[in-house]
Amino acid sequence: MTGSRIKAPTPYQRPNTGYDWNEYDPGGFYDEIISSPGNARAASRGLVAYIRKMSAKRLISRQQATDLAIKEMGISFTVYSDGENIDRAWPMDIIPRIIALREWQGLEAGLIQRLTALNMFIDDIYNKQQILKDGVVPKELILSSPDFLEACMGAKPPHRVWSHICGSDLVRDGDGTMYVLEDNLRVPSGVSYMLENRAVSKRILPQLFENSAIQPVDDYPSQLFEMLASLSPRKSDSPEIVVMTPGVFNSAYFEHAYLAQRMGAELVEGPDLFVDKHDKVHMRTIRGLEQVDVVYRRVNDDFLDPEVFNPGSMLGTAGLFRAWRKGNVGLANAPGSGVADDKIIYTYVPAIIKYYLDQDPLIPNVPSFLCVNKQHQQHVLANLENMVVKPANESGGYGMLIGPASTKKERQEFTALIKKNPRNYMAQPALSLSTAPTLCGNSLQPRHLDLRPFVLQGKSHYVTAGGLTRVALRKGSLVVNSSQGGGSKDTWILDTEAS
Amino acid sequence: MLSRVAERLYWLARYLERTEDTARLILVWHQSALDMPRSAQPGWDRLLESLGAQSAFAQLPGAANEKNIVSFVFSERGNPSSIISSLTAARENMRTTREIMPSETWVQVNSLYLSVARRSNKPLPKGSRHSVLNGVINTCQQIAGNLSGTMNHDAAYQFVRMGSALERADMTTRIIDVASADLASMSDEGLPYQNMLWISVLRSLSAYQSYRLGVRARVNPADVVEFLLASNEFPRALGYCLREVEASMKLLPRRNRALKMVRSVLAELDATDCSELAGDDLHQFIDDMQLHLQSIGAAISETWLSPDHKL
Repeated sequence: MTGSRIKAPTPYQRPNTGYDWNEYDPGGFYDEIISSPGNARAASRGLVAYIRKMSAKRLISRQQATDLAIKEMGISFTVYSDGENIDRAWPMDIIPRIIALREWQGLEAGLIQRLTALNMFIDDIYNKQQILKDGVVPKELILSSPDFLEACMGAKPPHRVWSHICGSDLVRDGDGTMYVLEDNLRVPSGVSYMLENRAVSKRILPQLFENSAIQPVDDYPSQLFEMLASLSPRKSDSPEIVVMTPGVFNSAYFEHAYLAQRMGAELVEGPDLFVDKHDKVHMRTIRGLEQVDVVYRRVNDDFLDPEVFNPGSMLGTAGLFRAWRKGNVGLANAPGSGVADDKIIYTYVPAIIKYYLDQDPLIPNVPSFLCVNKQHQQHVLANLENMVVKPANESGGYGMLIGPASTKKERQEFTALIKKNPRNYMAQPALSLSTAPTLCGNSLQPRHLDLRPFVLQGKSHYVTAGGLTRVALRKGSLVVNSSQGGGSKDTWILDTEAS
Repeated sequence: MLSRVAERLYWLARYLERTEDTARLILVWHQSALDMPRSAQPGWDRLLESLGAQSAFAQLPGAANEKNIVSFVFSERGNPSSIISSLTAARENMRTTREIMPSETWVQVNSLYLSVARRSNKPLPKGSRHSVLNGVINTCQQIAGNLSGTMNHDAAYQFVRMGSALERADMTTRIIDVASADLASMSDEGLPYQNMLWISVLRSLSAYQSYRLGVRARVNPADVVEFLLASNEFPRALGYCLREVEASMKLLPRRNRALKMVRSVLAELDATDCSELAGDDLHQFIDDMQLHLQSIGAAISETWLSPDHKL
């Protein structure tokens, strides 16, 4: 066959009308999907190749199909604005965020380590206070914290666990290191959106699921149920578990209803429950009173029980705290857990892990400065432009100063605020958060994101495979909260060695 | 099942039924007014009377003329029994029980609410009255059909069914009462039109054809009254509605007291020869029945919806 002068005819090559990855350039940021323009990270090769075959038009039509699916499935969140509650469709970007299984396993171990230590810390604070006596965490910091609940002193909840459901926010910095940005130990939300994002992306990108080993997330509701069941004071095969919601006006009502439905639990409001003179909790049903074993409460401490906390609360149930103290009902999360997720306590978490577990933290903290410390405060005030300043007790991204995006007037306001109430503020250097390609208009643009995995602790531990990825949809923005214009992505933990 | 959820379903059904029945009532007044000579027309204030809304109307500015009364009953938010108020309440009850209702019904209730809310506090012009009210009635029928056709017929559904039946019974008795009072007050000039009045009563309950089929007699007051009170076949008749309530209760726990009450009212109805009732007797009988309906409502509430649990 050698020597033939006649070459085979050149096969017709369809002009490539698909997405040109060279157009996507995250600049100096660490990108979750590509390592440099045109080059996919190992775990993302399948995704990048898949999108390469898609025209912009098809990509956009997939996004429209996603938006429609979300509307049809009724996935919504509530925003309160102009004195009215508006139900908004949940924003989800079709391009998933991918993390290699191997990296994830390290993060998973780190999250378990962290929650284990934090639960030992809370239990210690409300019992012996050994860590305070040993001077590892300053006593006055705890005792002056509004989240320290005197009423919890001496309580010994099942398994000595206080925060059973934790949502820790992880962010990746420019060099690729993952940090814990904050812990949410009270009533973290977002897990239903993680589950729904997955349901939607299976509908929209089925081909990718067929060809890669993406870790499933669907067992969360049954894991949650098992964990809650492990808190039941009555040993029975079918403990009565309820989800307690502040009601339909709460921004996370969708999630409360969703989780109740998925666990086959009743969705109750405070007035549906009743605590009798024997300190047992019942719910009012059409059959009469039925005893409740475990309350997964999505009502904040303040409103949980008017007998002990805010006496004007209409959202809680009188006597619930008393029933819990007597061990007649399991409460998840336990009251008082918030003492450990205050943003000031956050800075002590590495020391807390060392103290209780004698281990170094597997996932580092973001370096933080406490304004109550004079030297730190000077450093913060001198470098406000490069800092993110956070109040100790706010969530949802409210009351923050993002230095690089701030105006001079805002910085002056914060300088005054910090000087007036230093205990209430901490600051961190503004990280250059990692990005991922996000469909904006008709092109893929790098957008900053974070990750909220959910960790359960009862008799044992469980970590969701991935979590909820939140993405700041505005160019350059670092604010990912859905109440402030953030979007979301499905998160894939991908086993690159399996396939 | 939580009492609170049962309560919301029950009231959702009542408010939806009230919406439909009120729309029927306005429509029939509108149509019969077109048929009668001006001098024989029952006043529009009778419409307020059948809804027990005279005093609420009197508190608002504006003369008791047709235009004001219709918009008061249809779209006045200050009137707690107006269609817009009933729909607002129905929607709120549904919004808080969305997770257990068929999802299409939420969309239907919500869009019905929005279509009426667009007209809120505005008059309902004669030209569009028929199509707007018919639209309301048809959508309510669709929602009821959707609920009975797609919901599990479990305990939750029984509360929907009891709510509709009780509200219907209430509205039917109100309409008969007002019609008979009208007859009593009619001038001689109006007498030739009294059959027309009863025909419009039947029409307001979509009962005209059913009456023809069921009674096979020309329209006369005695037969109409008997049909609307005692029929066990016509779904808007008092007797039928009470049997619906009875059937639902039989499927619920802790039913004894409430069920006994319904059965004794049914026994009283069965023992009465309704065709003999007229004038003051009829009014008195209906008054008694309304009180019974109220006690049944109270018994439902005390047993299942907001029981006073004490241990």
